[in-house]
Amino acid sequence: MIRNSLLQIGACAMALASLAWLGGCKDTAASGGDTKEPAASGGGATATGDVIKIGLVASQGGDLRPWGQDCIAGARLAEAEINAAGGIGGKKIQLIVEDSNSKPEEGKSAAEKLASEGVIGLVGEVASGITLQMKTVAMDRGLPLIAVGATNPDVTKDSNGLVSRVCYTDDVQGPVMAFFAYNDLKLRKVAIMTDNKQPYSQGLSASFAKRFKELGGEIVGEEFYQSGENQFGGQLTSIKSKNPDGIFMSGYFTEVGPMARQIRQQGMTNVKLMGGDGWDSTELTSSGGDAIVGGYFCNHYNNAEDRPEVQDFLKKFREANNGNDPGTTMAALGYDATMLMIDALKRMDAAKATMDSATLAKTISETVDFPGVSGKITLQGMNGDPEKRALVVQVTKTGQEFVKAYEPSEVVAK
Amino acid sequence: MDALFYTLVGIDLNWSSLPQQLVNGLVVGSIYALIALGYTMVYGVLRLINFAHGEVFMLGAYTALLSSWVMGFSPDAIRKFYESEAAKKLADPSYVERSIPADPFNLVIMILLAMAVCAVIGAVIEFFAYRPMRNQSRTAALITAIGVSLLLQYAGSLFLPASPPPSVAMEVNPYQTNVSVTLVPAPKEIRDKFDDSVSALEAAKESGADAETIGDLERKKNDLEGQVAATATAITMTQGKIVMLLTVLVLMAALRFLVLKTPAGRSMRAASHDFDSASLMGINVNRVVTFTFMLGSALAGAGAMMLVTFEGTSMQPFFGMAPGVKAFVAAVLGGIGNIPGAVLGGILMGLAETLVTWLGFSNYKDAVAFVILFIVLMFRPGGLLGSSKVEKV
Repeated sequence: MIRNSLLQIGACAMALASLAWLGGCKDTAASGGDTKEPAASGGGATATGDVIKIGLVASQGGDLRPWGQDCIAGARLAEAEINAAGGIGGKKIQLIVEDSNSKPEEGKSAAEKLASEGVIGLVGEVASGITLQMKTVAMDRGLPLIAVGATNPDVTKDSNGLVSRVCYTDDVQGPVMAFFAYNDLKLRKVAIMTDNKQPYSQGLSASFAKRFKELGGEIVGEEFYQSGENQFGGQLTSIKSKNPDGIFMSGYFTEVGPMARQIRQQGMTNVKLMGGDGWDSTELTSSGGDAIVGGYFCNHYNNAEDRPEVQDFLKKFREANNGNDPGTTMAALGYDATMLMIDALKRMDAAKATMDSATLAKTISETVDFPGVSGKITLQGMNGDPEKRALVVQVTKTGQEFVKAYEPSEVVAK
Repeated sequence: MDALFYTLVGIDLNWSSLPQQLVNGLVVGSIYALIALGYTMVYGVLRLINFAHGEVFMLGAYTALLSSWVMGFSPDAIRKFYESEAAKKLADPSYVERSIPADPFNLVIMILLAMAVCAVIGAVIEFFAYRPMRNQSRTAALITAIGVSLLLQYAGSLFLPASPPPSVAMEVNPYQTNVSVTLVPAPKEIRDKFDDSVSALEAAKESGADAETIGDLERKKNDLEGQVAATATAITMTQGKIVMLLTVLVLMAALRFLVLKTPAGRSMRAASHDFDSASLMGINVNRVVTFTFMLGSALAGAGAMMLVTFEGTSMQPFFGMAPGVKAFVAAVLGGIGNIPGAVLGGILMGLAETLVTWLGFSNYKDAVAFVILFIVLMFRPGGLLGSSKVEKV
């Protein structure tokens, strides 16, 4: 029986390894079902001396590195700008960056490290899963937290006013795409591809489907896949037999690109492709090729917008980064999040308030019409979720093109 | 009665898409089979489960990617081309030609390089990691295999382009045209309706109708076109997939020839039959083991190159895990140690996954493959083609 027992050992080891793989894979938007709700016991920090410290958590390694790097570049720009203007009340702003390595647990220890270094507030992260872990630290230590790109609705829930964000939520981008599909593309029968390993994708698919049905459209089918899967022939043939006029792909670009190719390979040439901000990557057109060109997705802002905030930001970003444009929207959101915190600090200084975390959290939540690069941000009375405009952009061979901007009030059902 | 049953359990069978699904399953299964061959051959000779095999597959994919970059298909080169003047001239929407001339010769270089690099990596892993452990307990060798697997994954994260996960550019692949075979055409009334909608659209365009009318007619035409495609029983696949299936067939035939008809193959079979006696009979078993590793790894390299080139899969250093696990299951299903068994197991896994999707349960696709494994092992512990007789110790 040597052989069989060996097989068993092998099977066990393989199972272990695959578990490690399942766990180690990018659970970027891992649901934060276990976020405890500790009372805001910590008193936060009070800025002393001649610097005010702000902590930023971003991914410098792992799957999320491109977003992390852009986010850091954007935040550094905000830091340099305020310090060049003389700081706040004579005090310089010092941005301390810690690495989350694209992992929720490392994001948590990064936030803890920053808290023990005496930062007055936290900025970050790009992914909801990591931000949910940072939230537990922020709540423990009583620090205000401004999330950069975390769109999961749970991020700001029950946070005693400590957690806010500068991006829209998944409850907005799903309806935006549904509205656009129904009214602008005039689609009536849409099929959905959902990544059932990503809560982000599941949530987005649900909010899209709900709004699309409310508008009068029909969801002809929903098929599932898992991040890391390569071949979608089975699911796509099933979708083809239902004859949709559009396919909503709510996952990340890593699977969306090959999926788009395979949709065309199945002979579905007229079907419109749509998705969420998980598509935002320079790699999308290399994995999707011609197939993804012409697809639409929802994004936070676009470099081609002619609003002065955007063009100012781009000018400054290019000066600081050897003439390069930001690769993703996270540069602008990182800049906005840091600037929002700095803006609140400025208002505290003007009001001669004490420079501590509790006052900062309160001041942040009183923000009205902050002119962000990604749009106006109002946090007063919003429980941390600003009503942000969302953009629909179209994929081109060399990047993305602005199509239409929506205010949330236009698309979300009343 | 049947209809009632299906309605009750919520299955909506679409018979016209079954042939297409079988072909999809075959394509998925042929890749599993190529990887499973590596697991099974190594197990056959050494009784070792080479966990690093998935990582060899991953390195094969990266070899294909990097060689395509060297041949001028890097993202930068492609972006530059599209931003250049030449591309702007070609910017009209009817332009469908590939931008940078794709040459089948590039694909040949990519697959040969991927196979060669993987073969070398396989041999190196065997020499440095497994050979010193050969006389130790099998559990120790197994743990070493897991260690090599982790080493390659994390070393890969340090040195390979990983984020954003890169993929081989579509431009490299000259075989993009769809080939379609219609087995049973769509019902005549739908085809007639479609023809009517085409002529209505053309008439509207000629008479200069407003954009909205044309848009409506166009949507109607597209909808009917989709209906024709959805109700016809047809098989659609790209030339690339056909090339892929043919290559798999050629590789398997070559492997069969190697194993059955050549002296090297004979030594391999002898070593797998009885390792110690084979060495007493004057067979250089070290060379046989190296050869086995090289062969298995080269097949994985070929599979990886075809997957990333024809499907556009994005890769990262952990990308070998998923296909590795599936192919290992396929090898066990077919009877580990048995070469035709690995092919059979791979194809069955591919078919099972696609048929579950066809039944409308894409959510449980992965689970079902393992359920099948479970059932098969319950009745045939040695796998489908494997021998389940107790070994002499």
